[in-house]
Amino acid sequence: MLNLFKPRPTSYADRLSDTETTFTVKRGESLLSSALSAGIKWPFKCKVGSCGTCKCKLIDGKIKAQLDFGYVLDMSEIQDGYILACQSILKSDIQVSVNLTK
Amino acid sequence: MKFYVNARYLIVPFMSLIAIAGILIGGSFAWVGVALFGLNTIIDTLTKNIHLPADFDETGESYGIKGFQYAVMFLMLPVFIVLQLVLAYRIFQYTSLTPIETAAFLGVSYEVGTSGLNLIGATLSSGLWAGLGIIYGHELSHNKKEGFFVSRLIMALSGASHFTYAHVYNHHLDLGHEDDAATAPRGRNIYAHAWLSHMGQSRFSYNLEKERLSKRGSSALHFDNRWILGYLYSLPSIVLFVWAGGLIGVAALFSVWVIANFLLEALNFMGHYGLIRTEGAVEHRHSWDNDSVFTSWFFIEIGRQCDHHVRGETYFWELDDVEGPNYGIGYFSLFVLTLIPPLFKAYVQKHLDNWDEKYASSEEKVIAAQFS
Repeated sequence: MLNLFKPRPTSYADRLSDTETTFTVKRGESLLSSALSAGIKWPFKCKVGSCGTCKCKLIDGKIKAQLDFGYVLDMSEIQDGYILACQSILKSDIQVSVNLTK
Repeated sequence: MKFYVNARYLIVPFMSLIAIAGILIGGSFAWVGVALFGLNTIIDTLTKNIHLPADFDETGESYGIKGFQYAVMFLMLPVFIVLQLVLAYRIFQYTSLTPIETAAFLGVSYEVGTSGLNLIGATLSSGLWAGLGIIYGHELSHNKKEGFFVSRLIMALSGASHFTYAHVYNHHLDLGHEDDAATAPRGRNIYAHAWLSHMGQSRFSYNLEKERLSKRGSSALHFDNRWILGYLYSLPSIVLFVWAGGLIGVAALFSVWVIANFLLEALNFMGHYGLIRTEGAVEHRHSWDNDSVFTSWFFIEIGRQCDHHVRGETYFWELDDVEGPNYGIGYFSLFVLTLIPPLFKAYVQKHLDNWDEKYASSEEKVIAAQFS
């Protein structure tokens, strides 16, 4: 469950805690886009931050939200660390937990 | 190739500056913006059969330069501000009874003062180009925080800052449903749609803010209510036009806003008229594509609605033909048809029949049958 990856200048690593899958996220690219490019069947629907289908739990690391998550996620979810993958740009290596069976 | 791909999207910035120059030069040149709109309709109609795919290099990378395209979109904000300033300048001259005479600046002659007729031309030009420029407000609504804010400001110049939130959280989510104010059901005409869609999106945006603030335990009457803030962003325009011309200034600004919002809602109308979506993800079949060459370049690919609604995160210069439903003519040509509802209805019927037959799911066909 610990993040073992150090930030690199052009990309960050994302580790899925449930499956122990690791993939690279290009700097400036959304977590969801990179996951889909890596062949991960990440649930999504709208890709513009309005449906909440791509939500995941940030276990470790820092992200920058591109849109306000408050329109889609409850306050309790935000406080618990939930983020929208389609609107998250990585600021460090991160570790997330996501339900891939949705 | 790189230059061609990036330069082809500069038609609106270039023509907006010509429209501004026309108002500044004055006289009959105030109508240049209107004339350009007519010219564009002719070009769009003549080139309706030319459809080009998006351009990528051999590695699949787009030739579009993100930094350049974003710089252009951000720079359109001051261009639209100047468009309002020059109109206010002409209104001020008209209401202060400035004598109409010819002067020169750097060798270019221009008219000081303006007639009422040419002021109407300047107002129509401003409204049309403010409306056409809303394509930048749309594109930036899908991007990062800074772009989203610039989108809000661009839309606020047309009194429509609510659009940015409604577009992302309502239109993209509820596309093709009756819950989406921007999707026009079969049988509705453009005039009814312009009003219903505008008000529906504003209402959605208000309710969205109310819900967001209530999650925080705050009242809707809060300084952080972005629906209210959006309308406050329009205040400088109102103050400017009241100062410039009192009631005449207000009438001119109101005209600009009506024209601009009508064009915005016309784009929504043309993009999804009569299409139906039941449960499930948005697919290519839930939008109409308008990708004839002039429409594509002029409207920075906003006509590639099929791809845009499935890949909402994709930059406009990367959107491509996905062989979705297509009207076969560009936005300018189609817009003229929408202005005459019986004509539009007659034109669109065969396309709707084709959609029902080839694209609709069985559930969507059942709903479609209720409209026939």
